[in-house]
Amino acid sequence: MRIQVRRTGGFGGIQRRGEVDTSTRPDAHEWHALAERAVAAGHSAPSTGVPDGFHYEITVDGKTVHTADPRLTDDQRELISRVLKEGA
Amino acid sequence: MTTHGGFEPVFCTIVPPHVLDRLAQHEDPALAGPARETLERDAYERTHRRLTTVIGAPTLTAPVVSDKPQRTIYDAKHKQDLPGKKVRAEGSDPGKDATVNRAFAGLGATFELYLNAFNRHSIDGEGLPLNASVHYDVKYDNAFWNGEQMVFGDGDGELFLDFTIPVDVIGHELTHGVTQYTANLTYFGQSGALNESISDVFGSLIKQYTLGQTATEADWLIGAGLLAPRVSGVALRSMKAPGTAYDDDALGKDPQPATMDDFVKTGSDNGGVHINSGIPNHAFYLVADALGGHAWEKAGQIWYDVLTGGELKKDALFTDFATLTVAAAKTRFGDGGEELQAVSKAWEQVGVPTS
Repeated sequence: MRIQVRRTGGFGGIQRRGEVDTSTRPDAHEWHALAERAVAAGHSAPSTGVPDGFHYEITVDGKTVHTADPRLTDDQRELISRVLKEGA
Repeated sequence: MTTHGGFEPVFCTIVPPHVLDRLAQHEDPALAGPARETLERDAYERTHRRLTTVIGAPTLTAPVVSDKPQRTIYDAKHKQDLPGKKVRAEGSDPGKDATVNRAFAGLGATFELYLNAFNRHSIDGEGLPLNASVHYDVKYDNAFWNGEQMVFGDGDGELFLDFTIPVDVIGHELTHGVTQYTANLTYFGQSGALNESISDVFGSLIKQYTLGQTATEADWLIGAGLLAPRVSGVALRSMKAPGTAYDDDALGKDPQPATMDDFVKTGSDNGGVHINSGIPNHAFYLVADALGGHAWEKAGQIWYDVLTGGELKKDALFTDFATLTVAAAKTRFGDGGEELQAVSKAWEQVGVPTS
């Protein structure tokens, strides 16, 4: 499973990307479950969000959903944080 | 005989006005003086009555809007629940946490500029309490306005430091509140870039006001002091020279254009609101630079008049905003003045039509 996160907007308007390929990971099962929950709570189109808030695109095996601060679910926040940290 | 709040006219108001007119012109000051006073008093009362019918009678319990801010700082304790734990309120002494103290001071500086320069009481103009949460999330590289309060992250320490460090960032976030309560510019595309630019303009003015700087002395940077030492850059944006704030391996290069020739079309960042804001930002800088002195007195006043004047539409384009600033310069400072000239020329320089 390929999990990609793209973060845009924010006060600085600086984009960040991260990608994790779970196929070689021993904890792949955990990643899959987290990614599925994060995607299920996502939106098909980006929202306007709040001024200076971050926007996120989460793409799992080619399917993209949108979400934005400060209204992330706990699963989305954890997934985004892990992908941007480990897959930067 | 009527009395008017301590002032007792010599002539009762039953004396016909034309008689008072004659008396007022009398050679004898003993006769002319009281007649003049009565006429003046009469005119005042008549105007007052007329205004009362137009704007409504003043209520006896008119709310008194305080000239003091009502600030509260919360500590989110590295979580995402807002607002978090209350750590400093109005009237309490500074604590040990520099972030809390900076946020508190920054809210005060913002309140001061709006009150002293534009006679605006807080962000809604009616003394709205100012709330901010600091230490939001872990290593959070951002600050935002959630529609009700400000939220500040600590930064990751590698690229970004604490978002409460630059006072212009605090002013920027609060100004999103002012915009929300006034023109309410839609946060997308050109109107979104105007929303962003207004936050940068007043954020910078708050810094300049706090430091007592003239347009020439100001650095016109947004977020100076926010980038970690290893980053190649001075700030996040430059109003004086958009596109030059940073150029770094990790952050990339400052993408802001200064003129319409380099306008960026993108779907990201709500249609490039933090990118194309460089164009109106630069126009403001050019006006302030041309007029000199304290930028909040003339350029800032014109921008404020447009933001709060009621004519700026939610979905305004750059040219709509620019046209209104030309009108505001005329109304505020007169036709044919240097202010009008500076405003027209600035928009021309950045390639935004003003009609």
